[in-house]
Amino acid sequence: MRRSSAISISMLTLSAAVVLLVAAAPPLHEPPLRISSNVAWTEETLDIASNGDPFRGLLIARRCEHCHGHEGFSANASIPNLASVDRLVIYKQLDDFRSRKRPFAIMQEIAVSLSLRDSADVAAYFSMLPTARDPEDKRVYPQPAPDAAHVRIAARLIASGDPQRGLPACDVCHGPIAVVRGAPLLIFQNGDYLLHQLDGFATGTRANDINVRMRSIATLLTEEERQALAQYYGSGLGTVFLGPPFSIE
Amino acid sequence: MPSRKVLLEAILISVIVGIILFAVRANEIAPSLVKFFSGNSVDPATLHLEGEFVESNLGAAEESDGSITVRMIAQQYVFVPRCVLVPVNVPIHLRITSPDATHMLTVDNNDVGLVVGPGGVSHADVRFARTGTYGMPCHHYCGAGHYAMKAQLVVVPAEQFHKMRPEERVSCAPQ
Repeated sequence: MRRSSAISISMLTLSAAVVLLVAAAPPLHEPPLRISSNVAWTEETLDIASNGDPFRGLLIARRCEHCHGHEGFSANASIPNLASVDRLVIYKQLDDFRSRKRPFAIMQEIAVSLSLRDSADVAAYFSMLPTARDPEDKRVYPQPAPDAAHVRIAARLIASGDPQRGLPACDVCHGPIAVVRGAPLLIFQNGDYLLHQLDGFATGTRANDINVRMRSIATLLTEEERQALAQYYGSGLGTVFLGPPFSIE
Repeated sequence: MPSRKVLLEAILISVIVGIILFAVRANEIAPSLVKFFSGNSVDPATLHLEGEFVESNLGAAEESDGSITVRMIAQQYVFVPRCVLVPVNVPIHLRITSPDATHMLTVDNNDVGLVVGPGGVSHADVRFARTGTYGMPCHHYCGAGHYAMKAQLVVVPAEQFHKMRPEERVSCAPQ
């Protein structure tokens, strides 16, 4: 009697669990939800990310110097330079590392230890670092310029894009012509790092761009174009004013 | 001999019937019927987190009545997905929103023109009568990269457009 009652209770529990599971499951007509980043540029987030304390950030940034350099310029071309990078960019990437939307074990470990305020502070600090060369720093930027053919390819893409392919110019989002929110300035960035990111967006191994913007663009670029762009920016040629769009032959 | 009043009524009815027939015929000639609506109905900052425009829901979805709903995002300076795949002669519900600026989705050689701004969802019910590949440029200045903002529409024969599962989303943009 006791055994049959136990069986009926467990059957009841099982049935309830099944009902709950069915009720909790997403409707069949919806695809599995894929979210690129937990960061949304709401007024609240903008307020936090834009009002970091750079002095407090300086103290936190002591942990970053080993890789990103004392002056915000790394001694390794595959590690990003952070000097003068927009604070919203750094804030978002730290959040994406924290949430594993941008998977990278070393940065994830560091980002997890930072609060939102810490992220905003450290972002404020790096965004205010100058880009002028310091005799003491060990930066590898700029690297030697690529060959003339690659310079032509990159210069055309950066200044004019390729409208036939629906490819916008790089400098209308990444500066210096204009900057869209969350897009980093590239003219002081290391080439190897840029190439790795472009390849990541093109192949989907990096997918933390909000609304698929960079993945849509990077998949349009050929391997040679991605390489030319990375080398061009990494060699400092991006700081040279190219003139208005369409002026590149 | 019909009275003057009856004659006028007959003329009036003929004119109305004529207009209706012309409208039906015109819709056949111009395969797409353009509609426009814009209202503040989504939060442009959280498109990627919730609602119908999350990235996993973009592209073409097949409805239970066999029609196709295409959801797109227009943003500086790309449409997502940037290649849209639809079958020929099937009702298409185009739905588009923007997170940043005002854009206008147009389809070459078709009467489709959808203006959309941040927070708005614009939609049109269209039907493409001919197979082929059409450019879909942005037709409203949206910033420095506007001139290169262009997607592609690929209209394929119905037999080439496989029956989709309800949770499936299709586009021709490389993944």
